[in-house]
Amino acid sequence: MWLKNTGKEIRRTFRLLRIFAAQHLKKLMEYKIDFITGAVAFLVDQVVNLTFLTIIFGNVAHLQGWSYYEMLFIYGFSLFPKGIDHLFCDNLWNVGYWIIRKGEFDKYLTRPINPLLTVTVEVFQVDAFGELVVGIALMLLSVSHLSLPFVWYDIPLALIAVLFGTLIYTSLKIIFASIAFWVKQSGHLVEMVYNMNGFSQYPTRIYSSVVRNAVTYVIPFAFTAFYPASYLLRHESPLFCIGGTVAAGSVLFAVGLLIWNKGLTAYESAGS
Amino acid sequence: MKKFLKTYLPFTRAGMQSATAYRVNFLAWFMGDIMYCLVMYYVWRAVFASSGQSSFNGFTMTDMTVFLFISNITRYITESDGSYDVGEEIRDGNIAMRLIKPVSFDMTFLFTELGFKILTFLMIFVPMVIGVEIYKSIAFGKVMFHIGTFAAYMLSLVMSYLFSFYMNVCFGFMAFFLKNLWGFNMLKGSILRFVSGAVIPLALLPDTLRQVLEWLPFSTQVYTPAMIYMEKYVGWELAFRLGIQALWVTGFCLLSQLILSAAMRHVTVQGG
Repeated sequence: MWLKNTGKEIRRTFRLLRIFAAQHLKKLMEYKIDFITGAVAFLVDQVVNLTFLTIIFGNVAHLQGWSYYEMLFIYGFSLFPKGIDHLFCDNLWNVGYWIIRKGEFDKYLTRPINPLLTVTVEVFQVDAFGELVVGIALMLLSVSHLSLPFVWYDIPLALIAVLFGTLIYTSLKIIFASIAFWVKQSGHLVEMVYNMNGFSQYPTRIYSSVVRNAVTYVIPFAFTAFYPASYLLRHESPLFCIGGTVAAGSVLFAVGLLIWNKGLTAYESAGS
Repeated sequence: MKKFLKTYLPFTRAGMQSATAYRVNFLAWFMGDIMYCLVMYYVWRAVFASSGQSSFNGFTMTDMTVFLFISNITRYITESDGSYDVGEEIRDGNIAMRLIKPVSFDMTFLFTELGFKILTFLMIFVPMVIGVEIYKSIAFGKVMFHIGTFAAYMLSLVMSYLFSFYMNVCFGFMAFFLKNLWGFNMLKGSILRFVSGAVIPLALLPDTLRQVLEWLPFSTQVYTPAMIYMEKYVGWELAFRLGIQALWVTGFCLLSQLILSAAMRHVTVQGG
């Protein structure tokens, strides 16, 4: 009985997701220029960072043992979890910035679907295509210049790493956006934590031990890019590199759901 | 002059009050910038270690560290939201309320933003500069602070802010043609970050690119003040660079007035 109901529930959720997606596509066709501006903006942002990387490698042959194309691979990999989270979960920023503060969260509570799911799928942020396109281009470019120690199961492992890497981004956003349930506004906190993702794109060996431990065990952004990429590039410990990503993503997601659900009970609407 | 100040200082006071209300946001945004500086610091440290060289085009690791933090605080304090604010007001029609009052359109924006800048100056700029000076004293083994250099830097900083303000007013009028202001501003931001010399010292770029960027006005926003602070520009070169800055400020000020008067004839505001 319980199983039957869950099945029904999941089917209903997917039907709703399809309806939401259709709405987004209609909006996309309506505002073509907006879509292009946003996507180009994120694309150019990546190009600026890559120019920096290229100029650096004009001066050195390797960075702590990592070659230019290996760095491009790590950078490209980092854009997948980042971009996918950006594409599907962008509205979590607004939860932290104003949805709760203005009392607009009420509407999600009155709907017969999970509020976290609804608020998340409400925005389909096409700007993220800017990041994803650069990510794909970098992967193709770097792989053609490297000889990877490739075995067939690297593909499913890479997909798993992207999935759980995305979950790291999303869960951190859920955790820090949830704080707004108590303090009304926490967008700047989300921003502060989110900005630490810059640490994910470089070999962790370049950092001091405090920073290295922080980006590995506290705000584990290193598991969204550097660690999984170093498995794919050099087959370094899959247990740590891929397993760590899965563990970090799962733990953070569990913590995120816990805090979010606690926050829902603490939510009180705005006065007017 | 007295009447001028009496008219516009209340705008500054209002700006300061709203800045005080959002001070936590400022700190959080700035923390994001600090994270970025930290990542760059480690990357440069690894570059210096991997190359075995002690300087690149006259930049030692100590120079690089000072440049990173000073260029970032310079960018942070001279950044202007003018383009976003002007754009938003054109879109929602609030610009009409500004136009019917006996005050100058751009001065109201300037003086309001000044309020924000005073608070940023006290809360973020002063502690940062003290931090950098302490770092320099430790690195060089003696106090390196020169009041003359600092005065030149402050003069350069004021011009850099005015330049950025008027340039942004010019950009703000793009709102007539664009809907996605957010995307457009992000696009502008990432390009500016690079061409203003905030990402990488222009001295480290390939020659042609460096010369182009040095002659473009945008490098006067970050690169010129930072180089003055670091005493890389002295004597006649210092006077020359300050003169160039003054020219660009005047140029963009005039351009913004031209665009303003042309645009005012075309503003149509719907409804009330």
